[in-house]
Amino acid sequence: MATGILALQGSFNDHRKSLELLDKEYVLIKDNGDLKNIDSLILPGGESTSMIKIQEESELFDSLKKLINDGIPTLGTCAGLILLAKDVLDGSVSLGLLDCVVERNAYGRQNESFEGLVKFNNNSQMYCFIRAPKIISARHNVKNVAQLDDEIVGIQENNIVGLCFHPELTNDENYLNWLNNFIVEGNNVRSF
Amino acid sequence: MKVESTFKIKKGLAEMLKGGVIMDVVNAEQALIAEKSGAAAVMALERVPADIRVEGGVARMSSVETLEEIMSTVSVPVMAKSRIGHFVEAQMLEELGIDFIDESEVLTPADDKNHINKHDIKTPFVNGATNIGEACRRIGEGAAMIRTKGEAGTGNVIEAVKHMRSMTEGINRIISSDKNQLMSLAKEYSAPFSVLEDIKKEGKLPVVNFAAGGIATPADAALMMQLGCDGVFVGSGIFKSGDPADRAEAIVIATTNFDNPSKLVEVSKNLGEAMVGLNIDDLDESEKLAKRGW
Repeated sequence: MATGILALQGSFNDHRKSLELLDKEYVLIKDNGDLKNIDSLILPGGESTSMIKIQEESELFDSLKKLINDGIPTLGTCAGLILLAKDVLDGSVSLGLLDCVVERNAYGRQNESFEGLVKFNNNSQMYCFIRAPKIISARHNVKNVAQLDDEIVGIQENNIVGLCFHPELTNDENYLNWLNNFIVEGNNVRSF
Repeated sequence: MKVESTFKIKKGLAEMLKGGVIMDVVNAEQALIAEKSGAAAVMALERVPADIRVEGGVARMSSVETLEEIMSTVSVPVMAKSRIGHFVEAQMLEELGIDFIDESEVLTPADDKNHINKHDIKTPFVNGATNIGEACRRIGEGAAMIRTKGEAGTGNVIEAVKHMRSMTEGINRIISSDKNQLMSLAKEYSAPFSVLEDIKKEGKLPVVNFAAGGIATPADAALMMQLGCDGVFVGSGIFKSGDPADRAEAIVIATTNFDNPSKLVEVSKNLGEAMVGLNIDDLDESEKLAKRGW
């Protein structure tokens, strides 16, 4: 079985590198035909509007939605979080699975992008926030998994994790340990 | 704790644009068409290269009003062109909050010898290059992304192919050389030694590398992707064609599915007229934009 990486646009090759470092098999997903034998899923960073447009005619998102609802471990980073969210503040289309409201580009434009010290997987590590979204609110069934100062920058609801930042750009030991636990072992991540 | 505008953050935005299409736009209306067609970003400029060729005159940064209007119209990143060496245009683009600056040979150069010192500006830069030495010099000056120069405004992909092949050749040569040969290669390429070290270590350019200059069809975009580019810029190819929205969307889908001929056939149907092309041999040497910069 392999981890599917949504490969329409964005940082999918960086996520591929994470899985190579973990010796985990992967499949780049471009249409419905790529979805066989997938046991976990990664939605990468990139431009969410672009990804939504590219899959429009193939209705790939409907198939992804079914897979995620069936309970496979699913990670979304940045644009991936936006795609997973139940509500996006500007009304953008999303899969509507992760019970939260997110705001796109909420920290501002690129000049306001930053590296921030994030508490994630019980460690503190610098991660990249690039024109990043913010988690405006989340329901009580959603737990916090990552924090930047007082802000929640990562959440989990059952099999779905959404992060505002880009661990695929650092591929540090802390992230790879967490990813191995979540995607490869299928274990739940720890909360604070 | 937060740190802004590190090189990692500058480079990071380019990483997020990979596999995408960046489209030239001259106003907010075109920017909206580009965004709706699936553009990963838009590139604002005063006139598209094909028009600059026909009309002549000095081509400059877009007007401030146009830039502000584009930024408030679309949610994808907005890039904008500054003239080569015109660091004040770059400072203004930084002040405006543009997401990426293209120090571009398509506009009329402001300095015949020097490019902008890009380390001093918070906003990341993309620069054109025709070969590995030029790419390394721009990275040395602080460019966070490289693109081929190609020959803009011609609808002719041959120069982009030439530049991409030349860069790949240079990269392979650096990778396969041993450490003792690196300085001599740096001398040959007139390139900073440290950038060569980075290429040797990473096995590729240390920044994202897109194709640009002459891409007019979905097949052109897929060709550049198969040659190893991370994504494509399309300039005149979209808004100088018969049906910009359909062509833009087809190029976006072709860039994602660059290695899938059946998808490429499907998206290439009923696109209307492609832009009229120019033969590079018919251009006067002074008309070649790729010769600008060094």
